[in-house]
Amino acid sequence: MRRNPIRRMLDGLYWTTGVLAGLSLVGICILMMLLSIGREVGFNVKGADEISAWLCAATAYLGIAYTFKTGDLVRVGLLIDRLSPGVRYATEIVVLAAAACLTGYLAYYTLDMVWDSFRFHERAQGIISIPIWIPQLGLCVGAVVLFISVVDELVRVIGGAKPCYEREPPKTVEETIERLSETV
Amino acid sequence: MDNIELALLLLIALTVLLMGGLWIGLSLLATGILSMLVIPDLPIGKVLATKFWDSGASWTLAALPLFIWMGEILFRTRMSEEIFRGLSPWLGWLPGRLMHVNVIGCGIFGSVSGSSAATCATIAKIALPELKKRGYDEDVSLGSLAGAGTLGILIPPSITMVVYAVAADVSIIQLFLAGFLPGFLVMALYSGYIVVWSLLHPEKTPPMDIHMTFREKLRESKNLIPITLLILLVCASLIFGWATATECAAWGVVGSLAIAGWSGMLTWDSFWASVIGTVRVNAMIMLILGSASFLSAGMAYTGIPRGLAEWVAGFHLSPYALIAALTAMYILLGTALDGISMIVLTTVVVLPMIKSAGFDLVWFGIFMVIVIEMAEVSPPVGFNLFVLQTMSGRDSMDVARAALPFFFLLVVAVAIITVWPDIVMIVPKWAYPD
Repeated sequence: MRRNPIRRMLDGLYWTTGVLAGLSLVGICILMMLLSIGREVGFNVKGADEISAWLCAATAYLGIAYTFKTGDLVRVGLLIDRLSPGVRYATEIVVLAAAACLTGYLAYYTLDMVWDSFRFHERAQGIISIPIWIPQLGLCVGAVVLFISVVDELVRVIGGAKPCYEREPPKTVEETIERLSETV
Repeated sequence: MDNIELALLLLIALTVLLMGGLWIGLSLLATGILSMLVIPDLPIGKVLATKFWDSGASWTLAALPLFIWMGEILFRTRMSEEIFRGLSPWLGWLPGRLMHVNVIGCGIFGSVSGSSAATCATIAKIALPELKKRGYDEDVSLGSLAGAGTLGILIPPSITMVVYAVAADVSIIQLFLAGFLPGFLVMALYSGYIVVWSLLHPEKTPPMDIHMTFREKLRESKNLIPITLLILLVCASLIFGWATATECAAWGVVGSLAIAGWSGMLTWDSFWASVIGTVRVNAMIMLILGSASFLSAGMAYTGIPRGLAEWVAGFHLSPYALIAALTAMYILLGTALDGISMIVLTTVVVLPMIKSAGFDLVWFGIFMVIVIEMAEVSPPVGFNLFVLQTMSGRDSMDVARAALPFFFLLVVAVAIITVWPDIVMIVPKWAYPD
């Protein structure tokens, strides 16, 4: 079955930001190793602390939309898991609508922050004096894509689809362990 | 509106949002916005964006994804078999025999992993079927695995401790150091319980079926060398201050990759799976942390935390009574929330009380970790119980009942560290004498 192009594009977007988050993670590790080894051999990685802080933000926020879609954002299931299907459907829509408002609010104001940084030529305070909007893009893009993914989900659920964050119960023991190991 | 009314209103709003199924991070965000609405002329949206940026772009916090990653890599290796095979020949003489593999195995894995459910799952994967096959009592086996799995967050590195350290603004390294002795204390309590139980029920412990010479035993254990080296490397760099927590975490990742490569389990797929797994866990935690820092800012504007601290101080509770009350509160909260959310939600209001009662914030971090461990082994949302329920195929109430003695042992651990706080503080004070 060919999936429709918008669907493909959106899923591609979540996947891409997830991959970028993963690359930032690898980046933090490499940078910290360089810093640690460099100190022993008398070689200083300029601004490693700041860059790793920015990569930390990128790892965290770029991955949120992907995490939301795969159902790894935690919520309290005590009550809603026990609702009858009809009430459950209505609740999911209300919750998703609320989530859309909140993530929209967050996305709007992170855009606003980055725009201000750009407009007023704010620079990072520290060794590396690059325009601060560049690292802030990680937060901003992450928040905007999260908003898109929540709206996407809201539209899908209203259209009668099962929410993607609600995953099929695992079938094998291995699957269960794999999934539960992702809780802290 | 006075503060008590506002506090109640926010509490009700938060409860409704959480119970309604709104994601925890977003519930905190919404409550934060509500708390700021009562303050005139506050640019709420700008505060929100700044708080998210400041809490995410933090060099200290970079240790969090790295420690998560370390656990994710090791989880995908054959470590569980190696730990079981390496430990079991040495434990036959103890009353309870191989049952102690559960406790010590979780302790070992806990010192490379920062997650309770992952520790529990890793050790249970092999120990549960092996012990059952040999005829050990399944209830004690399940209970000890549930309880010992929580050592993952008490013995450093620990994801929970990183989150607390950031929320309470204490040093991650000091908190890690403070976790060692309480970790051994909990292990001793668990193993002690197993010993006493087996002495009382001698018929339920099968005879030792591993007969090896000393040399053979050593050969069985040689696969434990890499993990031991990794633990020593991480511990030593923490204690002697060779590296910052973040660098130490990076070394842990590289060491784990080396172990995975050495045992032939490192493929491109497993590497990438560990990266994506880390991104998901980390993003989940960071959304909560970002929102929580925003909510804390809102609470600070309202003055609720200070008001509550004064209100509680008005009761003139003894420190012990305060800790008892908080323990009860956290056990209750733990029935609905996960550990990370419990920390970020409560630190802002509880820490001022704790400080004014004269407790050390590092000590309180260890206290919180232990009460979170209790939540992990008690229904209805104890993650370790879920793990064991699926792995054993037993009913959830059976598993919860099997874990109950170990829940009470954690209560005992809290009592012990409250009466003798030095158990927690002696290592960090020794390493950082100031």
